[in-house]
Amino acid sequence: MLLERWQQIPPGTRDLLPQETARVRVVTGAILGQMAEWGYREITTPTLEYLDVLIRGEGSEAGDRLFKLIDRSGELLALRPEMTTPVARLVATRLREEPLPLRLAYAGQVFRGREVGSGRLREFPQVGCELIGSSTLEADAEIVALAVEALAAAGIAQYSLSLGHVGVLRAILAGLNLPEQAAAGVRALLYQKDFVGIRDLLDRAHAPVRIVDALAALPTLRGPSALAEARRLVDTPEVQDVLRDLEELEGVLRAYGVGEAVTIDLSIIRDFDYYTGIVFEGHTTALGVPLLGGGRYDRLLERYGVSYPATGFAVRIERVLAAAPSNDDRWAPDVVIAFAPGSRNDALACARMLRRRDLSVTMEVLGRSWDEVAREGLARGAGRVVLVSRGEATVREDDGRERRVALADLLSGRAVLGPASGRRRAREDAP
Amino acid sequence: MSLVTIAVPSGRLQEGAMRTLEAAGYLTAEAWQSTRRLILPCVDEMARCIIAKPVDLLIYVEHGAADLGIAGKDVLLEQGRDVYELVDLGFGFCRGVVAVPQELADGWERATPLRIATKYPRITERYFWSQGRPVEIIGLNGTVELAPQVGLSDGIMDLVMTGRTLRENRLVEVAELFRSTARLVVNRVSLRSRADAVAVVVERLRAAAAALAVPPAG
Repeated sequence: MLLERWQQIPPGTRDLLPQETARVRVVTGAILGQMAEWGYREITTPTLEYLDVLIRGEGSEAGDRLFKLIDRSGELLALRPEMTTPVARLVATRLREEPLPLRLAYAGQVFRGREVGSGRLREFPQVGCELIGSSTLEADAEIVALAVEALAAAGIAQYSLSLGHVGVLRAILAGLNLPEQAAAGVRALLYQKDFVGIRDLLDRAHAPVRIVDALAALPTLRGPSALAEARRLVDTPEVQDVLRDLEELEGVLRAYGVGEAVTIDLSIIRDFDYYTGIVFEGHTTALGVPLLGGGRYDRLLERYGVSYPATGFAVRIERVLAAAPSNDDRWAPDVVIAFAPGSRNDALACARMLRRRDLSVTMEVLGRSWDEVAREGLARGAGRVVLVSRGEATVREDDGRERRVALADLLSGRAVLGPASGRRRAREDAP
Repeated sequence: MSLVTIAVPSGRLQEGAMRTLEAAGYLTAEAWQSTRRLILPCVDEMARCIIAKPVDLLIYVEHGAADLGIAGKDVLLEQGRDVYELVDLGFGFCRGVVAVPQELADGWERATPLRIATKYPRITERYFWSQGRPVEIIGLNGTVELAPQVGLSDGIMDLVMTGRTLRENRLVEVAELFRSTARLVVNRVSLRSRADAVAVVVERLRAAAAALAVPPAG
């Protein structure tokens, strides 16, 4: 079947149907709820920002991945590609006078101006949080522990979090004493995760074998032996400090009760340039892409005029949903109400009463016969179907039995009309 | 635990990839020479191989449908996918070059704007941008060398192995953009969540590639 233009949406965007939207809401709510329990308060920033304001935070190379627009006055705008930079701008402006630390959470759509056909989304939802104003290990530990709790709250099975530190990589690179151009080349190759290219480049630059080996070993520096191995490979005071911090952090995370889920992984390379300390990613075996990512970014807020250290993470909600596939749940209301001619007022009073008791109620609006409404409603999975007629309610249960109840009893609550037996309320509660 | 999936490219690199997998003990010669199946079980019961078109292969690895893959550096450069490139497997050597018809070869630096036909639009565009030269890219899917002969383009950017195709089509190489061999790539999550199983494959293929590398003559 050929789709007409008006039937299509742009590549990299998605429509979400009721069940999917409900799952997004539930998972988002669960994660925000977790963050709220830890004292993180939700903020909202605009979807659109000035292009140069975003570039100031994201770095000029980020220009390529931004979704850009020009408004009527000729201003260059961009859709936010993530939330950390807008939050930094907000903190540096309207929250500048607030006492530190600031604990902020957010949930919203973010946009990437990718090539069409790359199989990646151009718009997707992110939920995350930032802890601003502290450079301590305690702050790092809180953020990492909260990231693990967020994965648990999201209902992910078999999650794990890989924790690294950009300091190791930076120190290895600094130890090379490469001219700036070559160093930039190595950094670019690292972001591309091209370890073959790095080895070639360093061999050509006659870099010390020891350091080349350390860089080549980076993808394997992971797991219980990673710290010891790294200590052996890079023997500079800065790296020893970083490794000591990571070891201490591991201890704190055990005290948080999340030690099991966290693996030291010095090969973590995050795509964003602004990280200065720990970096981490959350994974599950069910999915080939990270579920969340984050780290410490102590220099980002400087670019907006305040020198606050900060740490945080963001969860990719659509990936969480992909990792925890839903059983094909059909939704149906708890109660469907139809009414005979002349009984509209009674029927609506009845619906109002049931909705106040947190039952979902739909009214028959197609003017069909009672039997048709009842059969169709129950077939769709409604708990009960009610016909209101001349002071009386006929209730058909999901097993097909019918009973009659005086309307007065129904309205006063004497005739209880709770969720049907064996029926799970609000099935979408399960992510 | 599900199988470790290794994506193997069809076409130019297939034989080299299969020989490397055979040397690493994952496939028997019989298994890959006598079948057209797209999923091959391995000798090692923990792994399987899938056959994918070279242009699609990195998509499988990037999305985790395959844990590892064998891909030409040319495709890695062109597509810029989010995968770890860990081992140079050594086979499938070729070069990416710009070639123009003989009569254009002398003054080609001054020819502008240049129309270049290629299967590698991004690499080509990046190259000409870096040279500060305007270029018009004509994206084709095959037999690129035909384009200049029928006036579709002024020149081509394509892979050359022996240079025979260029000669036969009276094209002259004027610039080399990259050199390519087959690389072993790994999905970024597989590298972590299935670290041990993936590390075994990486090391066995690394060793097999080193063993197969032909020592330079003389």
